[in-house]
Amino acid sequence: MWRAAIVTLGLLCTSPVWGLAQERPATQETEPQGLISEPLVIERAALFGRRHFSGGEGAAGLYADVMNMIPGAGWLAAGPGYRQWYSGDRLFFDTSAAISMRGYRTAQARVELPKLSNGKLIVGSQFRWQDATQINAFGEGPDTLESNHAQYRMRSSNLVGYATLRPWRSVAITGQGGWLKPSILEASGPFRSELPDFRQMFPGDPVFALLEQPGFAYAETSITADTRDAPGHARRGALLRGAASSYSDRHSGVFSFRRYEGEAAGFVPLADSRIVVALHGWLVGSDTADGNFVPFYLQPSLGGANTLRSYTNYRFHDRNMLVLNLETRVALMTHVDAAVFLDAGNVAPRIGDLNLDKRSYGAGLRLHSGSNTFARMDIAHGGEGWRFLFRLNDPLSLSRLLRRTAQVPFVP
Amino acid sequence: MKRIFGVCVTLLATMALASCAMRTKAPASQATAAEPGATLWERPADLASRDLFHGPWGRDDAPKPDDTYRLVERKHHGVNPGLTVVDSRGREWSVKQTPPGNFDSEVPTELAVSRILWGIGYHQTPMYFLPSFTLKDAWGTRTETGGRFRLKDERLKSGDPWSWQENPFIGTRPYNGLLVVMMLLNSTDLKNSNNTVYEYRDRGVAQQRYVVRDLGAALGDTDRIAPRKGSPEAFEQHPYIVGVNNGFVEFGYKGWYEKLVRDRITPEDVVWASNLLAQLSDKQLNDAFRSGGFEPADADRFIRKLREKVQQGRELRARSTAVR
Repeated sequence: MWRAAIVTLGLLCTSPVWGLAQERPATQETEPQGLISEPLVIERAALFGRRHFSGGEGAAGLYADVMNMIPGAGWLAAGPGYRQWYSGDRLFFDTSAAISMRGYRTAQARVELPKLSNGKLIVGSQFRWQDATQINAFGEGPDTLESNHAQYRMRSSNLVGYATLRPWRSVAITGQGGWLKPSILEASGPFRSELPDFRQMFPGDPVFALLEQPGFAYAETSITADTRDAPGHARRGALLRGAASSYSDRHSGVFSFRRYEGEAAGFVPLADSRIVVALHGWLVGSDTADGNFVPFYLQPSLGGANTLRSYTNYRFHDRNMLVLNLETRVALMTHVDAAVFLDAGNVAPRIGDLNLDKRSYGAGLRLHSGSNTFARMDIAHGGEGWRFLFRLNDPLSLSRLLRRTAQVPFVP
Repeated sequence: MKRIFGVCVTLLATMALASCAMRTKAPASQATAAEPGATLWERPADLASRDLFHGPWGRDDAPKPDDTYRLVERKHHGVNPGLTVVDSRGREWSVKQTPPGNFDSEVPTELAVSRILWGIGYHQTPMYFLPSFTLKDAWGTRTETGGRFRLKDERLKSGDPWSWQENPFIGTRPYNGLLVVMMLLNSTDLKNSNNTVYEYRDRGVAQQRYVVRDLGAALGDTDRIAPRKGSPEAFEQHPYIVGVNNGFVEFGYKGWYEKLVRDRITPEDVVWASNLLAQLSDKQLNDAFRSGGFEPADADRFIRKLREKVQQGRELRARSTAVR
């Protein structure tokens, strides 16, 4: 079944959507009117969101770094940031720090040369420090029990150098290499502090055979084709991505592994963009030498606000993962969409064992500014019951792709 | 590492607070010494014949719709996206683009307000509207979303920002008249960084021109939270003059810069500005709104309301004896 779904996804992303993207009119289309007229309070909220939470790398100077944390940090995360371009855009500098309602903290600094070879080549470096205080974990595999809900805390320092070549406007080929140093600690945060420590619940996990987590040298190569009109609230276009990465355990080598990813997303507008059908698929596979392990925090994981919405964040993890999301948005008002969605996927120790047995379906509302979803409410139902979500981002914006540093823990 | 995080947050928060403090600080208004050749307004002897579609530099300097524009750099400030481009004649243009979905666009408003100000004698920069244009960048040429094209010309050198609170014209009729027009047009973003002193050189003679430059936040309402721009409905509903108190006009303006006009504007100032605006013909006003790409139906609504406000202002002198 999932093979058929992937073929469908591939066709959706490669044929009509590419054409639509190319035919995008140069003059801006006015936003589609919704089914009902919009009250002033919604229009003002959309204006406020557009002016203050448009995201991206648009404005120089001080900015608010809002909702730029990994899933699990809570729906509100914010902090100050500063970015500037120098020498006619030839040098870019960005730094920010933020704290979330769950006590997650991050700080990062980035230097980039964005206009090499007339802008076709970007070279840069980034350092990120992160303290994720309450990460969910349930054990490895697709059959873990919900009752085994535990938590751990992970601090990490991450330094990366990267180069991105854009031979065509919508295609990016990226190579990067870096150093990652994670450490696992006892969970500490203001919410659900009664949950057991993951180390005590799963003492047999090979990761806990070490007193201290190893440092990893890592490298990744990826190619991405992205024709979405507005990644924060796409109405048309597609994204195709393939990536291969290697993590080398510099302590004993036991946790060295390779990871392969394929991802596609397509957005098809119907009825003058009043309806948008979106399909997203993501396949991740891991590979190790005999006797080696993939540390649980770098195994692909599934569950949460962007993958399986009726499951908690990081609900499942294993060496391989597959997820498909089908979402249809209907313009209820000019800046409010109603959405229905279906999520399906699973994790497995072998890629051939992957299936779509874990499912979520539900409905929600999206408050957007035309180019950016800045608030959403979803109600999802699945194998583990109902879940209500409030987030300040779009479920299919794929904002994790903008991160340069390695994602630890693996971000679903 | 914990300490480093703390230091980073403290440092960035301090910078943010300092920035806010700098933005909100409003020193007491006072006139400063005028530099030779400094002007804010010049009596428009040719008011009736001014071309409000093409603006101060006329048709000849307009960007060509069929030209190919080379990308220089992207804009990194403001609410609307933008870029700097060079045309085939080597002229540099600052382009403020229409945002995605055509939502919250400043482009038509900025053009229309600029034309009206220039029409009655206030200095403005050469700016034009193109709905779309051909852009050449590293990946080739393509049709790009258009917007406001502002010419960067060596005859008109952009200088420092000027302050509403400290400038050579405080207390003069043109200065107060300018504030009246900004109130009449519901201009909400009256921060000092939107004002620029330009050095205009013509045949060896230099002139310092005080220009209100970024005019896109107008023609809507003046609410402090997310005011609407370029909205005929909001413009029609928003009150203009609500009374006269102790000899000073009180406006319906509710924006962040309300202090600029409090206890400053007299009925005579309003009448002066209204009389100037009243001299603009229907065709000129239509051209002003057309220059920014407003739909004719919307332009009609703006013009009708603008005429009402002008009339309200002209009648103020008679009513001002009835002090509240």
